[in-house]
Amino acid sequence: MNGGNKRKRQDMALAVSDSLSNEERIVYNMIRSKENMGIWSGELKRETTIPENIFKKVLKSLEAKQLIKQVVNVQSKGRKIFMATEFQPSKEITGGDWYSDGKLDIEFIDTLKQLSLGYLSRQKVATVDMVLKFFKESGAFTVEVSNQNLEEILKTLVLDDKVSEVKSTGFDDFAGVPPGRVCYRIKSKIGGVREEKVGAMASIPCGVCPRINFCTPDGVVSPKNCVYYDKWLDF
Amino acid sequence: MVSEYGLKLAVHLITTHFGNIVANVCENLLRKGPLTLDQLIRFTELKREQVKNSLLVLVQHNCVQPFQNQQQQDAAKTEYMALFDNILHRPRFPKFLDIVSRKLDDECVELLDGLLRNGRLTLQQMADRASEGKENPVAIDVVRESLCKLLAGQYVERCPAPEPVLFPVVEETTTRKRGAKSAKIFQPPLTIEQRVLEVSVAGESIRFSLTADTGFNADRETNSDDCPMTSVEDAVKEELTPWRANFEEFMRHLRHKALIENVRTRLDEGAATILSAILDATRTAERKVKVQNSVPLSLEAIFTEVVKSENGRTMTIDRVKASLVQLGCPSRVPDDSYTIDLKNIIELARNDEVESIVLKRYGPYAYRMFRLLSKANCFLETDKIAESTLVEKKEAPRLLHGLWKDNYLHMEKLQVMASKQSRFVMWKVNKPQLWDYVLDEMYHAALNLNLRLGLEQEKDVELLSVPLDKINESKSLQKKFERRRRVRLLLGSSLMKLDDALMLFHDF
Ligand code: SF4
Repeated sequence: MNGGNKRKRQDMALAVSDSLSNEERIVYNMIRSKENMGIWSGELKRETTIPENIFKKVLKSLEAKQLIKQVVNVQSKGRKIFMATEFQPSKEITGGDWYSDGKLDIEFIDTLKQLSLGYLSRQKVATVDMVLKFFKESGAFTVEVSNQNLEEILKTLVLDDKVSEVKSTGFDDFAGVPPGRVCYRIKSKIGGVREEKVGAMASIPCGVCPRINFCTPDGVVSPKNCVYYDKWLDF
Repeated sequence: MVSEYGLKLAVHLITTHFGNIVANVCENLLRKGPLTLDQLIRFTELKREQVKNSLLVLVQHNCVQPFQNQQQQDAAKTEYMALFDNILHRPRFPKFLDIVSRKLDDECVELLDGLLRNGRLTLQQMADRASEGKENPVAIDVVRESLCKLLAGQYVERCPAPEPVLFPVVEETTTRKRGAKSAKIFQPPLTIEQRVLEVSVAGESIRFSLTADTGFNADRETNSDDCPMTSVEDAVKEELTPWRANFEEFMRHLRHKALIENVRTRLDEGAATILSAILDATRTAERKVKVQNSVPLSLEAIFTEVVKSENGRTMTIDRVKASLVQLGCPSRVPDDSYTIDLKNIIELARNDEVESIVLKRYGPYAYRMFRLLSKANCFLETDKIAESTLVEKKEAPRLLHGLWKDNYLHMEKLQVMASKQSRFVMWKVNKPQLWDYVLDEMYHAALNLNLRLGLEQEKDVELLSVPLDKINESKSLQKKFERRRRVRLLLGSSLMKLDDALMLFHDF
């Protein structure tokens, strides 16, 4: 926050507090002091010790004057959080760039992942910048995607085991990428048959059975009367 | 310590192979550890004769090892110890035979088959067996020749001492050495089982030699290699020496195969060729199955070995070097020798197996979080995990909790006094502990597969006595027959695949 900005805010606060009632001022100052973290209405009431009926009115009036706003807290959506209008909710409150209205924007994330996979499957290897450049040129988004955002997307693709992270050697596939730079490489081409590494356990009923801990050779749940097996062996 | 389902699986195998009485004796040994004959009679509530016979069967099939326990002050008594690993090897016999059939001739395979079926055989018994159903008896020399080949490959070994003596452990000097020596890595003391096995095995030169005198008897050093043959009598005894399959060699072979396969899928054909060449060249220098690193080898020696192999014939020395780097081994400066971290390859393979269970059982989000934790190998906080994996923050705790409840994650709650948000939940993948847990689940799954296979084989058993042309006439019979065939095929191949995973987590 730069100095000029701060001064402006102080001036505004002074002007504002003149036009407020006593209770309004107390509540407003308390909310404002919490900056971009906001404050939970319960805590606010406790700290300001204003009687319930007045407290509600005060909040209404402050909201009507557009001095405070309610924000959704990703941690506990039931709780009302108030924040002075001039602040943008912090990452802790919103959940970060990937959240809108307290919800993870899965659709957006999945679109980015699909596009990245599509691009990587046409490339041998690519750095974050290369993928970003492709996004910008393709004009697929009106929303700004930052370098850091994209890196997060690529990292989840690595965790999904769809993409591997490799360091450039500067040779062969990496020609044109400075050595040592982190690159991403697709594990299998889209459309090609991907060799799923299904383990020994994952390919039999017991290996993925939710009831394995209740299953005994002669018990109520047992391999002899097991429905999962019946289904598996239903030729 | 063998886990509960490992034990149950072992008992199941013995029951199906040798019946309930033998299994009863074996189960007591597995659960209670080494026991004397009298103790066994008491615990099993069987007749002395029954217990004795069961022990004979189990010893004959290398599932039990007797020994003289002189650890206590009172008179030494013979105790019997169950050999869990050897019991679990039993379903692997087809794999062992397959290995030998790729390396040696049919006679050797026949001979090994006899050993696997009978547990232990003398040269004479082998000859008798080879002659069965033949017009002219097979000469003992012919059998001896096959045995020699098997011994040269260390696929067969001399049976261990019938009753080795276990002396009390001599405590090391009590004065504590300080400094460099006491900083040595802590080695857990050997268990009774390990010590018995150690003293029962003959020295390398006797173990695989057809002619050496063993010198095995109760009051002689069992472990020494240098007992010269003393008389003609000993030579005659030679004919009576029992032999058995050397499971250790087969396990080494299967471990190498698993290592090479893994490198092939993870890296490429070239790296697999190099690893294969290195393991081949150093095979006899490996002292046990679970070696952590490959035996050091110079670049030159590796190269010579590589170009000998079919896939490596066209490789240049630079290509070999590049593959060695891929395999994660920079050359060791002092003597320019290379060694590969085999344990690491095994651990990566174990990770794969566990992750694939997580994906199937808990879904893609849990899988992503699990992989993050597995790679990080340290405690991470719930929100941090959700952020790094782009999983909904409200969903993450539920998924993590599910994994924790089933023992796939380790969890700790952290109370921080000063901070406003004072409770954190931290998560971690505790690999060694998780592997033990997964291994037990695998034993459980293998037991279930076996039970189901047994059940399916009993079902429609009358089909087997129906003549083939009858079956071909009837549609419904045909269908039943086909189902039976496919069920057996699927269950059988699943068992073999699961057994590979069992070895990966237990033997490798
Ligand atoms: S036998 Fe059936 S119920 Fe039992 S663990 Fe296997 S799949 Fe689950």
